[in-house]
Amino acid sequence: MSQPPRDRDDLRAHQERWERETRGPHVAAHGERLAEFRTQAMRWPVKPLYTPQDLDETGFDYLRDAGFPGEYPFTRGTSPDGYRTELWRMLQVTGFGTGEDWARRGRYMLEQGLNGLIIEYDLPTTNGLDSDHPLAAGEVCRAGTAIDTLADMEAALDLPFEKLQHLTSVCNGPQPVNLAMILAALEKRGVDPDSFTLQMPNAILIEYTCVGRYIYPPAHGLRVATDVIEYVIRNHPRWVPIAVVSAQLYAARANPVQELAFGFSIAMQYLDAVLARGFAIDEVAPYFSFITGVDMDFFEAVAKLRAYRKIWAKLMRDRYGATKPESLRLRLMASPGTMSLTLQQPLNNIARLGIQMLACALGGGAQTMTSPLHDEAHALPSEEAIAVGAAVQNIVAHETGVADVVDPLGGSYYLEVMTRKIEDAVFAEIEKIDTQGGALRAIETGYFQRALAQEQYDRHRDLESGRRKLVGVNQGAVSGEKRSIELFELDADAERRQIERLQRVRAERDGSAVTRALARVREAAAGTENLVPPILEAVKAYATHGEICEALRDVFGSHHPDSLTTGI
Amino acid sequence: MSERARDAAARLRAGDTAALARAIRWLEDGDALGASVLREVAGAPERAWRIGVTGPAGAGKSTLVDALITELRRRGQRVGVLAVDPSSPFSGGALLGDRLRMQRHTLDPGVFIRSMATRGRMGGLASATHGAAILVDAAGFDVVLIETVGVGQDELDVAELAHTTVVVSVPGLGDEVQALKAGLFEVADVHALNKADLPGADSAERNLRALLDLETQRREGEPRWAPPLVRTVAARGDGVPALLDACDAHRVHLAASGEGERRAATRAEQLFYALLREQAPQRLLARATDLDRTIAALRAGEIDAFAAAEAVLAGGGLPAL
Amino acid sequence: MAKRIRVLLAKLGLDSHTIGVTVIAKALRDAGMEVIYSGLKQTPEMVVRTAIQEDVDVVGLSSLSAAHMSHFSRVLELLRAEGASDKLVLGGGVIPERDAEKLRAMGVAAVFTMGATTTEIIEFIERWWTQREAQ
Ligand SMILES: Nc1nc2c(ncn2[C@@H]2O[C@H](COP(=O)(O)OP(=O)(O)OP(=O)(O)O)[C@@H](O)[C@H]2O)c(=O)[nH]1
Ligand SMILES: [Mg+2]
Repeated sequence: MSQPPRDRDDLRAHQERWERETRGPHVAAHGERLAEFRTQAMRWPVKPLYTPQDLDETGFDYLRDAGFPGEYPFTRGTSPDGYRTELWRMLQVTGFGTGEDWARRGRYMLEQGLNGLIIEYDLPTTNGLDSDHPLAAGEVCRAGTAIDTLADMEAALDLPFEKLQHLTSVCNGPQPVNLAMILAALEKRGVDPDSFTLQMPNAILIEYTCVGRYIYPPAHGLRVATDVIEYVIRNHPRWVPIAVVSAQLYAARANPVQELAFGFSIAMQYLDAVLARGFAIDEVAPYFSFITGVDMDFFEAVAKLRAYRKIWAKLMRDRYGATKPESLRLRLMASPGTMSLTLQQPLNNIARLGIQMLACALGGGAQTMTSPLHDEAHALPSEEAIAVGAAVQNIVAHETGVADVVDPLGGSYYLEVMTRKIEDAVFAEIEKIDTQGGALRAIETGYFQRALAQEQYDRHRDLESGRRKLVGVNQGAVSGEKRSIELFELDADAERRQIERLQRVRAERDGSAVTRALARVREAAAGTENLVPPILEAVKAYATHGEICEALRDVFGSHHPDSLTTGI
Repeated sequence: MSERARDAAARLRAGDTAALARAIRWLEDGDALGASVLREVAGAPERAWRIGVTGPAGAGKSTLVDALITELRRRGQRVGVLAVDPSSPFSGGALLGDRLRMQRHTLDPGVFIRSMATRGRMGGLASATHGAAILVDAAGFDVVLIETVGVGQDELDVAELAHTTVVVSVPGLGDEVQALKAGLFEVADVHALNKADLPGADSAERNLRALLDLETQRREGEPRWAPPLVRTVAARGDGVPALLDACDAHRVHLAASGEGERRAATRAEQLFYALLREQAPQRLLARATDLDRTIAALRAGEIDAFAAAEAVLAGGGLPAL
Repeated sequence: MAKRIRVLLAKLGLDSHTIGVTVIAKALRDAGMEVIYSGLKQTPEMVVRTAIQEDVDVVGLSSLSAAHMSHFSRVLELLRAEGASDKLVLGGGVIPERDAEKLRAMGVAAVFTMGATTTEIIEFIERWWTQREAQ
């Protein structure tokens, strides 16, 4: 009894009639809220209604553009059964204090039911400096955990490893030193390194584009990162030695197209470097993972996650000739973006987190999710905020039902059009970067940095002009609201204790062994051998984090960006 | 007023960089104190060697200046830098980015770096740059490096100010070699082919050398100075000692050939005209009597613009009706 | 020749968040000011030398890390020692209110925390400038 499908001319005629007879008169009578409707980040015009006609116009083809979950091009998900088999893993970022402080917080979070942890380090550590360096004063143990020597890492890894499935260690500039510290500490604690997954963002190229925690010039940064990737693939094949943290681009105000195009170009730069070490594409591609963030424009966010998977699959298949499914299947961790959180009316941030978490779930891309905390705009997170963050994830996972159907928004005319639009724009931008010589060149010439700086300014002006709305800031703001920032009280004594331990370690170690080990590191840096083994030896000799980075700096020099390469 | 100017001049001559910076500011802002300080220090013989660094946007001028500072300091010279960046034609504001490249010299007491915005002046420099160079000289710096904005073919003011003009070019400009040929080429005393680490450096050098041969033929009969070409990698400091040697050779040539004196004479004349061009309109207007009434009469159609202008130029005010 | 407000924007210490300074630098330029950006990892000594050589009117110090108290107070101290305390010193970034109070007591004219608009900052500078010029 089913009716034959109406053809598209028929649909067009109907839509024109609807516009003429129904919508037209309504709009003429009541007007519209805004003179024009646009998406938040891309500022793309938004039509009042999307229909199959729009799919036709974009050339949408179901099998080619959407396909089936778990199959190329993975638009509808990398898992054949969505979240029905297994929910995403839930992680939370922490890091502050000494190694012991971090381990205490980590144990607390594992008890809350989280199964993965992310450790971040303080600014001296990420900049490759020891805690007693003059530039470090006041920063030690502040924005993350301080790791100076193997002794600190041993303390930090005092964790119930039977509960820990996943540890992400974020130390981009000095990642090989950090990796060596973790390896040596696991050995000392007698933990099997392959009992959990260690993920290292190792994402130095992104540091040059926006975050700024670089040490050496970009080309040397790339070499160091490549050494880490190569070492892990050869020695700890279950670990993940590279994550392209496009979330940082996003936090630096990249729009979705920039985030993906810059992020993928950077990924391909690493990939080319690793392939040059004699691997085949299918041996390497499965190790690449990505970390993204989503914004408040719900459909832009969901479309971005779907396009993310699809573009990676296409790049791997068509550009690199990868054939293994693991190579084509994107490994993605997604998180709500801290940058959309506001200082004003901080409880509103819980709603934002919920909506963004929902977008992550519906975007279906994320095998892992992290949850920032509603008071993150204010301060280092409180324990209450950690509990709420975990609860928001659980609410989305268990109360909404969105995890029970695979890609439930798939087929939405609007979403499919947006997904295609993002995809096309990303490929166009990648081509532009290619013609400039790829990501490393784009960093060295400041192309990425200037594009981001412009976007930062434009976005800020959107907010100040009110084109972009932010509740509690330019919409429903409470005048005279005290924007108080309360920094989570840190143990003021941590810096002193950290420096004391560092100096004790320095006094007690075998100085000549350290000197020899550091000389080996320099020698390796000047040549082409992999840096991880000599660094591991140096770590075991209790050479400090800063000393090892300094040895590399001796050989590589330091990076000093200029006006072009800072974007200002 | 003259008391303050005298005091400022004295402090500046004693090497007080705060006084120097403030006096440059007066020049930029058109504060009469600036001109007074300039008069205070005028008459002293020129001591500092002024090296202009010019070339297209992004050629590496700032990077080269940064490397030149390092090399000059190694040679025991005190260095002042005037780095000019364009003002926005829309807002009049500016992002002065050159300094960022040189910031590592900030704590060196033998180095003074001052960023200047063009403030609407065309030609590659700011109006106040000339005066500022004189003040930096008076403050006891041995060399003044002047970085222009990224220039095209007709922003050549720096050649009127510098003793030695270094034109920076880079490989891969292709068509811009044409631009060089037109304007910049004629003012170059020394050529720096920067970014010599990039592909295309060899062919760029061949192109430049071919042009240089033509230029040398063109200049036949003039006191002979064949502008040398030095390859540099500013980012690494490569070629920078050679570049400085070439500048030195040019200085020796200027002194030995008498060309230096000829140029000084031309420079004095050019400066004279430049100052007049810049200051005459304001001064004339300030001196004109009855300016408001003249304008009112003009607007009311009682007199015409020609008559009104003529009257003001003649040193008076409202012409008789 | 019109006078122009000259501003130095500086990042002290290890904090490398630049979005705030980027946005403010462009906004101040678009408001007609001349802006010099110091780059990252500056020491108070470098900031003060730069402020003096460039003869800026305004020194904007940005910090998104916890070390603002010691850095900012050192800048103020050095400016005083160099006889350059006529400059307007502003602070910005993630600065808790109780620290902001202390900074203002030290001589930081205003502290703009994260939610501040560029318009607020521009207006503050221009008000100060007009008052100073009137004197
Ligand atoms: N490969 C290479 N890059 C260089 C060299 N010198 C400078 N650069 C780079 O070129 C870019 C521009 O350098 P700047 O020194 O800012 O150029 P500029 O001519 O002062 O630019 P404007 O003042 O904006 O006109 C920077 O990213 C430098 O790092 C060089 O010798 N080789
Ligand atoms: Mg420059």
